[in-house]
Amino acid sequence: MIRVSEDEILETHLQELRRGTVVLACLRLLVTPGYGYGLLEELDRRGFATDANTLYPLLRRLEKQGFLTSEWNTDEARPRKFYRTSAAGIRLADSLTRDWLALTRAIADLTDPET
Amino acid sequence: MTRTSLTERYIAATIRSLPPDAQADVRAELQASIDDAVEARVDQGEGREDAERDVLNGLGDPAALAAGYTDRPLHLIGPRYFLTWWRLLKLLLLIVPACAALGVAIGQAVAEASPGEIVGQAVSVALAAIVHLSFWVTLVFAILERTTGGKPMPAWNVDHLPEPQAKGAGLSELVGSLVFLGLAAAAIVWDHFRGFAFAGDQWMSVLDPRMWPWAVTALFVLMAAEAALAIAVYAYGRWTRWFAVANTVLAVLTAGLLLSLLARGELVNPAFLEAVFLDNGVGQEVLRILAVLMAFGIAAIAVWDVIDGWLKARRGRR
Repeated sequence: MIRVSEDEILETHLQELRRGTVVLACLRLLVTPGYGYGLLEELDRRGFATDANTLYPLLRRLEKQGFLTSEWNTDEARPRKFYRTSAAGIRLADSLTRDWLALTRAIADLTDPET
Repeated sequence: MTRTSLTERYIAATIRSLPPDAQADVRAELQASIDDAVEARVDQGEGREDAERDVLNGLGDPAALAAGYTDRPLHLIGPRYFLTWWRLLKLLLLIVPACAALGVAIGQAVAEASPGEIVGQAVSVALAAIVHLSFWVTLVFAILERTTGGKPMPAWNVDHLPEPQAKGAGLSELVGSLVFLGLAAAAIVWDHFRGFAFAGDQWMSVLDPRMWPWAVTALFVLMAAEAALAIAVYAYGRWTRWFAVANTVLAVLTAGLLLSLLARGELVNPAFLEAVFLDNGVGQEVLRILAVLMAFGIAAIAVWDVIDGWLKARRGRR
């Protein structure tokens, strides 16, 4: 039997809780067009730490689903693929945000039963 | 230059399994992303080669990255099919290898193979059946997993609950086994004194008269013990390990008695065989095959009886 430390268990639960928030963060951030590595840094800076090998496939999947559009920018020395949130992406982000806020209220009620 | 070659090798390994129309795009994008990441590390004072290694290590196994790009599963059989696969495999493994082994054993016995040969052949066929079943069933499910997209299985509902299993210690079981044993005993006695088979122009016994008195006495003792066991199980209310042991001993003794009689040619009345089979043009060869089948029948009934007893004992524990 492998003993799992409390830290590892906590880490698993946190991962479960955060799953999906990266999608919402990307949809919001990419209202201003952005490219892979730049977005990775931006997410990290804003507290949505993500692995590169999760983010890059995710961007392509969202593009395939029609929530992001993309365009190659070849103006600079290094050509980069820029993603931008589509109209459908904005609608999705709104739905997700509504759900997130409802959950936040529900959780606040749980921790603070008197109010 | 090692710098380009490491990154290029990494990208090549990633895009190799992607659909051709996506390869060029992913290559260019991944190249830019890796270059960006390396550049950022170099700006912070890290050596270019170390930076590249760290960035690529951070991206992880290229096959896993490619699976992410194509939504390919990283497991053989996922949660959607696992239970169906496991139930089907268990069911098949319970039935097929035993049937295959039995069939081969009968065939070998009819062909007069030695006992060692019979067992060896049966075991090797059973093993081959297990390996083949496991492999092909798993292969089919692995293909299903990769071809049916996100289609869900039919949802589970309470109708799929297993039936509650009888514990085999009720009144109906007791009555059933006592009636069966009584009828069997009566049939043996009737067969001896009046005869069951009408052949030629007279009634004759099916069982060999030489079974009387010793073999028949032994048989009656075993049957009486069976009846006592059935009553004990009913009185106790459930099967236990000791009942299963007693049941096993009785089954083995009964089968052993019948098989040894059969092997010595003292189970079936020779006059009956002559009148019914040999006089009607059925050859000795056919009789030999019938004897082999009968032996397997006796053994199979005994084996099933033993297994049934242990299964009931296990159920009775709960």
